[in-house]
Amino acid sequence: MIEAVRITKFFPVTNSQGNAEGNTAVLSVSLKIEDGEFVAIIGPSGCGKSTFLEILAGLQVPTEGEVYIDGKRVLEPLPSTRKEIEIYERKYRFLSPVVNDLLKDIPKFDTTTIFQDYAIFPWMSALENVLFALKVRGIPKKEAISVARKYLDMVGLNGAENKYPSQLSGGMRQRVALARALSVEPKIILMDEPFAAVDAMSRQKLQEDLINVWQKTRKTIVFVTHDIDEAVYLADRILVFSSSPGTIRNIIDVKLNRPRNRFGREEQMLKERIMQIFKFDATGEAMDYVI
Amino acid sequence: MDRKISYETKGLNLFVRELSAFFMGVVKNNFTLEFFTVFMPIMILWETLPWLGVVSPFLVPPPSVVAVTFWDLLVNHDLLGHVLISMLRFLLGLSIAILTAVPIGIFMGWNLLIRKHVLPLFQMLAPIPPPAWVPITIILLGIGLPMQVFLVFLGVFYPVLFDTYQGIKDTDPRYIASARVFGASELTLIKKVYLPNALSFIVMGIKIGIALGLVMLVVSEMVGAYSGIGWLLVESKDFFRIDRMVVCMLMLGFIGWFFIEIMKYIESRLAIWKVGR
Repeated sequence: MIEAVRITKFFPVTNSQGNAEGNTAVLSVSLKIEDGEFVAIIGPSGCGKSTFLEILAGLQVPTEGEVYIDGKRVLEPLPSTRKEIEIYERKYRFLSPVVNDLLKDIPKFDTTTIFQDYAIFPWMSALENVLFALKVRGIPKKEAISVARKYLDMVGLNGAENKYPSQLSGGMRQRVALARALSVEPKIILMDEPFAAVDAMSRQKLQEDLINVWQKTRKTIVFVTHDIDEAVYLADRILVFSSSPGTIRNIIDVKLNRPRNRFGREEQMLKERIMQIFKFDATGEAMDYVI
Repeated sequence: MDRKISYETKGLNLFVRELSAFFMGVVKNNFTLEFFTVFMPIMILWETLPWLGVVSPFLVPPPSVVAVTFWDLLVNHDLLGHVLISMLRFLLGLSIAILTAVPIGIFMGWNLLIRKHVLPLFQMLAPIPPPAWVPITIILLGIGLPMQVFLVFLGVFYPVLFDTYQGIKDTDPRYIASARVFGASELTLIKKVYLPNALSFIVMGIKIGIALGLVMLVVSEMVGAYSGIGWLLVESKDFFRIDRMVVCMLMLGFIGWFFIEIMKYIESRLAIWKVGR
């Protein structure tokens, strides 16, 4: 179970005069995600949904609030008083709080993250990228190779295992990232617009694959996207973020049967409803029926 | 057609294969037709101008005289011995510098606390021109191998250090984050993420270091040695043998070029992933 309690993220940006200015990316987001749930976070770009996901993943320290995964706190909150700041700085002066361990490969939580700009290593081939993740998780090499091949096949990369990322297309690179994240079989997968760079045909295939994997293994998936169709097709629950500052605007429970029909009537109505929410936020135009 | 090509992967055969690949690459990359269209006219001018009396052959010895002098030095004056002792000094200084500068650079780029401790010191010492160290080194270490090695070390150390540091520090935080989400330790991060990313920076630093190290080798041998190419150069100056000086200069140029070719080859072998970019 993931539990986020009043997460606020604040950071300085430069304004048009070149002066520093405060920017609240995420404002007081509280949220509970049960085990095995598929949650989609949807919102306009720049609404802080990626920042929120990185906070869940423990890659950024929230300005305020705490994240708990299975009751265990992900990162210590930032200090507020001068004394606390001193203690905090002394504690983390050598290694930053997001570091795992100095010498031993131990994940803090059984989670993985897929980034939107497919952060796979350009100096490793597709297979080596997946093997890297498996090795870090302590899976013996012989077994790791067969697991890696299985997942590369699943995302449709058989034949491209030994290619380097510079020789792969954007969509294929993202599939390597997907195979790498799925191969370690974590309990929780955090996805940051994973299919944004993939062509429409493969995207549908990857969505179906993801749903199959999820239905088989019942992992918890948090899926950030800006594609309404994708959110409606995949998620149990859709969190609609509003922009600047990013807060949860609506929570929509999707109680549709699976497998879902991409062009079904209820699905279309749901999409329409989310579209209207965004339209209202952008233009202030009310619609002729109540949300 | 499915034809399997197998390559030697270990032992002497691998060494021979790599060596031949290296020399073939050197020849293929350097001695092209385009290069000879520039090189041959220069050689012809160099050869003919002194003979025609445009410049004094005594001041500008033509290539034929240089070749004869080279042979004379090789047979009668132990040129090979001088080259070997120079190489010993150079390689010792170079390897000590690389073995110290690369780890320090890695730690400095990896950790802010270590960086805060040592970087200002290096930044203050680095601008001292290496030849300025010569007098104090001679006084402290005397004339001999330690002094020459130390001076070469000084030439190589800072370029390698700062390039390694820069390469490690400039690693894309996305790559670091994507390794951390799988639970990678800092050691794994250094080995599998920071180092491959910084490799081309490190090789670049070593290339600059080789050039500066050769400068320091010549300087150290000119003022504090009784053997080596730098010493031979000063000797030739004292006896006004311009042809010998040219031979020494060409030898130094060749050594520097050869080492940089080796570095290029090492880089191309270690960064296969960059091929085809």
